[in-house]
Amino acid sequence: MAEQSLASALTALLGADRVFADSAAREAYSRDATPLFRGLPEVIVAPHSTQEVAEVVKFARATKTPIIARGAGSNLCAATVPLNGGIVVSMMQMKKILEVSRNEMLAVVQPGVSTTELDDVVAKEGLMYVPDPGSKTVSTIGGNAATSAGGLRGLKYGTTKNYILGLEAVLGTGEVIRTGGRLVKDVAGYDITRLLIGSEGTLAIFTEITTALTPRPKSSQYGVAYFNTLADASVAVDAIVAAGILPATLEFLDNTCIKAVEDFAHLGLDSQAGALLLFGDDGNSESVAKTVGAMADISSSARGVRAVTLAPDVAAAEALLYARRCSLPALARLGSMSILEDISVPRPQLSKAAEAIEKISEKHSLLIGTFGHAGDGNLHPTIVLDKDDADEVTRAERSLSDIFNLALELGGTITGEHGVGSAKLPYLRAKLGDVSLSLHHNIKSVFDPDRILNPGRLGT
Amino acid sequence: MSAESHEKFTQAKLDRCISCGYCLPACPTYQITGEEQSSPRGRITLMRALQDGRLPFSDEGAQEQASFCLGCRACEPVCPAGVEYGVLLEEWRDITWRGRKRPLIIKALFQMVSAPWRVHLMSALSPIARKRKSSTDIHLALGCFERRLFPKVSRAVAQLAPSISIDPSQGCCGALHAHNGDLEGGKALAKELGEKLPGTILSTAGGCAAHLSAVLGKERVQEFSQWWSRNLKPMTRNGKPIRIGLQDSCHLRNGMGVFKEPRKILTQLGEYVEVPNAQGCCGAAGSYSLLRSRDSKKIIAPKVAAIKELELDYLVSVNPGCTRQLKSALRRARVKTKVVHIAELIALAP
Repeated sequence: MAEQSLASALTALLGADRVFADSAAREAYSRDATPLFRGLPEVIVAPHSTQEVAEVVKFARATKTPIIARGAGSNLCAATVPLNGGIVVSMMQMKKILEVSRNEMLAVVQPGVSTTELDDVVAKEGLMYVPDPGSKTVSTIGGNAATSAGGLRGLKYGTTKNYILGLEAVLGTGEVIRTGGRLVKDVAGYDITRLLIGSEGTLAIFTEITTALTPRPKSSQYGVAYFNTLADASVAVDAIVAAGILPATLEFLDNTCIKAVEDFAHLGLDSQAGALLLFGDDGNSESVAKTVGAMADISSSARGVRAVTLAPDVAAAEALLYARRCSLPALARLGSMSILEDISVPRPQLSKAAEAIEKISEKHSLLIGTFGHAGDGNLHPTIVLDKDDADEVTRAERSLSDIFNLALELGGTITGEHGVGSAKLPYLRAKLGDVSLSLHHNIKSVFDPDRILNPGRLGT
Repeated sequence: MSAESHEKFTQAKLDRCISCGYCLPACPTYQITGEEQSSPRGRITLMRALQDGRLPFSDEGAQEQASFCLGCRACEPVCPAGVEYGVLLEEWRDITWRGRKRPLIIKALFQMVSAPWRVHLMSALSPIARKRKSSTDIHLALGCFERRLFPKVSRAVAQLAPSISIDPSQGCCGALHAHNGDLEGGKALAKELGEKLPGTILSTAGGCAAHLSAVLGKERVQEFSQWWSRNLKPMTRNGKPIRIGLQDSCHLRNGMGVFKEPRKILTQLGEYVEVPNAQGCCGAAGSYSLLRSRDSKKIIAPKVAAIKELELDYLVSVNPGCTRQLKSALRRARVKTKVVHIAELIALAP
């Protein structure tokens, strides 16, 4: 359907102020936070209600137009880049927190609410919305659910998939479904909630989300250990968990990241060290002190350790957390483009993965800085490059392929928390295998018979 | 066309943006619309399309976004990648608002301040501080519209700081030009003022201070609250400490990183109350309130409601554009809080 008639038909459905088809709007929605991917949508719509979303989907189905739901567009896998044109449905006009129930420890929200907004509101009730992706100030609960976003608290608390109790969603047919609900226990039927979480907009568009909350921890404490290599830090992480400790924070950065962060933020980090391990825990102060002390002890006697210190106060702890959080932007300043990857491996394989990534960086003569959620076995090797150097871009693509193969060889995965999107789609078959991929294809047929919802993504 | 004018954006500045979107929640226009094209990241995506020729500079939607942006630079402190958005916006307007394409209101404003004598004429009837030469090397920048609209501000500074020099024959600092599509003119005027006022320039306008400091170097420029160092006694009303709020100046806060200083002063003067979203733009945004009056009112509406609830005695401003905007918005809403410049309030202190 031509753009103009698409836009005018949608305008008739939603009104002119919710439909955008001018060049500037289309350009603005042609990208998300992923480098290298770009695709122009034909039209953007901004519905205000479930009913309006359903009408747009029915219209898209009738006209066989691709349709992509989008939150804040902060994903790092090009899951919301409209490579096939079509309609982008911006969920940013549906951003109400509908309910916070303190005695049920849950919240009911519309998909456009940001992670930080929700956490700030529930904090007033002494509660916490746990999943805290790096982009939490901007990422939406709808987007988090669609990619099952992770964060810095995965090891102890889990990720988004562990905190969604129920969904209201519009299927590819335009029908509205409600899954799960407010119950702790409910095994009536397939767990469709869990199936929809991480489905990257290929099965349904979320219009309301019920999230579980937890009591907000009363205190927290952090420490830092420096090692000669990232592999040494990985061995220490393995030892900590093997000792029966499940802390809230076990994050690490390699020397490239430490240097970049130090140049950028001047936090007084040891930029000679090969790796920095940030450990910490939250809860009641007694148990926190015990856990953090134990982690410091284990680190002190681990292989290749250089120094271990505990943060004396909140400001020092904040500085350490900031060092971890600003790794990506600090790296990004080193070149005109950075590609952030997201492999995950079984924790005992972490040291092997760290060593192999270093070799890959040498092999392709690329600057790769690695940081990540060590406790989760989740690594973010980040390639920093000059976007105008075609040869370097090619080498970067080759090294990505090596990194994904490495993850699979070690029994890991091509993406731990960012999603597959378009960026990792070429590697999905290697991870899932033919049978699983064909099952994905068939599942989509049931939810979305005309294959209009984010077509092509997740191998569907 | 002059050498300083921009045909294109500075590529390295565009390349800085990693499109992470962290700027979205900080942007007042994005908060209103929820539309990507009116967010800082969206606007940079547009700039890239303009740069690469995918969109012509004449594209209406893109021009609208260059104009709709307040230029408040709230996106800069939250940007992890250090994108100099303010500079990119100045370049954008330098291209799109050049020559005949410049909005009429801006042309008229440029005319009014184009030469020192015009600035002088404009404020001829305003009772500003008198000419004074002092032995110290600190000169007061009088601002163009500030001396015309709020002459009490320079009088307050003159009273509080007898040691500074005041020269009413000075011209415009050029901030108006830089923000409205005449980068070269903006720089030239700043340099001219820098020569006219040697040594340290003391400014009572956040917008002027930020522009002067960007052109002349931050060691040459001090904003009033940054410069003030004397301790103050609290003011009372009906036996109780007065209730004071503050509206940040966007360019002072986001451009120069000055926001603790005025708060420190106000805490001494009475019961300081942080206005919700005090750091958010009030919608004055230089010439914005004249160019886009309706949007400007939309931006300030939630602020007025919040200020009304706080029942403040004084709302303090550190920039004349904000003072004007806040005064008229509070008057419309019949809020009794008085809007004053920080120097005026200090001058009232015991």
